[in-house]
Amino acid sequence: MHEPIRPLLDVSDLTVDIDGARVVDGVSFTVAPGEVMALVGESGCGKSLTAFAMLGLLPSVARRTEGRILLGDRDLATFSERQLRKARGKDISIIFQEPSASLDPLASVGSQIADAYRIHTGASRADAFEKARQMLVDVGIPDPDRRLDQFPFELSGGMCQRIMIAIALICGPRVLVADEPTTALDVTIQAQILDLMKKLVADHGTSIVLITHDMGVVADIADHVAVMYAGRIAEIAPVQDLFDHPAHPYTALLLASVPRLDVAPKADLATIEGSVPTPQEFGPGCHFASRCPLVTDKCRVEQPPLFAQGYGHRSACWHIDRIAEITGMLP
Amino acid sequence: MLRYVGERLLQAMIAIFGVLTIVFIVMHLSGDPTLLLVPQGASAEMIADLRRELGFDRPLWVQYVGYLNDLIHLDFGESVVQRVPAIDIVASRLPYTIQLAAGALTVAIGVGIPAGILMATRRGGWLDRVLTAVVVTGQSVPTFLSAILLIFVFAVTLGWLPASGIGGLSNLVMPSIALGALSMSTFARMTRISVADELSKDYVRAARARGLPMPKIIVRHVLRNASIPVISIAALEIGNLLAGAVIIETVFAWPGIGQLAIQSIQARDFLIVQVIVLLISFVYVITAVLADFIYAIVDPRIRLAR
Ligand SMILES: Nc1ncnc2c1ncn2[C@@H]1O[C@H](COP(=O)(O)OP(=O)(O)O)[C@@H](O)[C@H]1O
Ligand SMILES: [Mg+2]
Repeated sequence: MHEPIRPLLDVSDLTVDIDGARVVDGVSFTVAPGEVMALVGESGCGKSLTAFAMLGLLPSVARRTEGRILLGDRDLATFSERQLRKARGKDISIIFQEPSASLDPLASVGSQIADAYRIHTGASRADAFEKARQMLVDVGIPDPDRRLDQFPFELSGGMCQRIMIAIALICGPRVLVADEPTTALDVTIQAQILDLMKKLVADHGTSIVLITHDMGVVADIADHVAVMYAGRIAEIAPVQDLFDHPAHPYTALLLASVPRLDVAPKADLATIEGSVPTPQEFGPGCHFASRCPLVTDKCRVEQPPLFAQGYGHRSACWHIDRIAEITGMLP
Repeated sequence: MLRYVGERLLQAMIAIFGVLTIVFIVMHLSGDPTLLLVPQGASAEMIADLRRELGFDRPLWVQYVGYLNDLIHLDFGESVVQRVPAIDIVASRLPYTIQLAAGALTVAIGVGIPAGILMATRRGGWLDRVLTAVVVTGQSVPTFLSAILLIFVFAVTLGWLPASGIGGLSNLVMPSIALGALSMSTFARMTRISVADELSKDYVRAARARGLPMPKIIVRHVLRNASIPVISIAALEIGNLLAGAVIIETVFAWPGIGQLAIQSIQARDFLIVQVIVLLISFVYVITAVLADFIYAIVDPRIRLAR
């Protein structure tokens, strides 16, 4: 209920350019210890680039042009590659959408987990393998001794994601960034992986930045949620607050397109009329203007700042007072 | 794994059988191979004698069975010119070609693969541009021309290296470079493509995400994955080098089987040519099988497949 005074992770004004196009534009959010912050938005809205930028893992075409990434009292944005390398996997970890592709197909699972431990601790091979074995138990993989000797092609996607989680957490980082960790998996496996992540938060107090385009996942696991649209945060709020009182037209439409949050965990966000502008098409005003039912001239020319809407609840809309009209427009 | 090995060996045997058959067909394409074997201006009587001696007057299928039977018993016939077993003549020349091929392969792999790795890891940098220029040159200058250029510069003008013939290691330098240049370019190009392709894969980003330094990721993960297509190229290139040796050995007066092939064609000593063709074909087949075995060692997906 009560927001801690000091967040563990404080991202502010994160901005990423690709070829002069601003694909991530001034993204800010904070995550408290042991909290799950969900970053939701349609495909292409800049979620992955936000995540990659946080760890200095942007593709070479992309540049982080602005932003602070405070982890504790250190700003990752000022880190050299060498410093980042030491922080990655130890202070902040990330797992990706395609767990099977995230493992070297030619190296044994055990060696890849153990490597992650040895690089940060300098532990011996034997100790690292023992630690890897424990991690496999922790992430719920039965028969860990056999698994250590196996190769990625012998494991299912869900199993690979558990391995990736084991690798990500083996050095006990305080923050785990999970970029659509369940998107590539079957529904039943998705639920298992989400349960595992909940357990990790409960057991180790790991903070999670969970990227997803699935509102069902958000409802299931998140404490706070930031809704992204076309490179910007449209609305950010405690999760229940957002579901009960959406304060941005995009969020309102999004929620309306998910039939029932409590029972329908799988719904895509792409059910709003019109299409997302590409970064080249971004105008000077609100990026949602081209699809917004409440749009006025001001929206097209002037970018709305994030207005406070309540405790920890902010929304970037000039017409927050008219949000009720959207609910009224819906059948 | 056992089944994989078995399958490869069976394929190799089928390929070798195919090669033998094709060589037989080529020899008989003109109708009467005797005419290929006699010196020019031979009398009709001489031709008839030789035809009977070599059995070319028998029905074709009898000849084919006899041919296969001889080869199975490693009987490759006699040189019609020197009247000694063709295989002995080829065997006496083979060590020189092996030396040359080894030298060329050292140049091709020793330069090509590191160059490819550097180009892929420094993409767009000055080193990439310089090496790309070298590679393009290596692959566009014909072998005989680069041989002549090398001789002109290093033997005639600078006098650093012997122009031709055998002798010490210094004799091997230019022929190896001339023969290996084309291969070197192929290795460099393939390695570059292959390493660049691996570098863009998700597992590289994932390895960076767990804090591994890039050089370690390249050595431990990228190169191993990138080696798979390069191994296939290597297998092909060894055969190509032997075929390329024909020109190089002639230019550098190198007494290997390439030079022997040319000499035997000129002397119409076709049984020797046949042995050389068979030998080069076998090398292609054998290196292909070896490459398959190396895949199995490198790639657990092959090794552990049932
Ligand atoms: N490697 C890249 N090269 C060029 N454009 C990219 C690259 N990666 C992402 N983008 C562009 O950046 C935008 C945001 O991408 P991304 O962060 O991957 O979106 P999300 O993860 O929300 O689906 C998209 O418009 C995408 O086309
Ligand atoms: Mg993404």
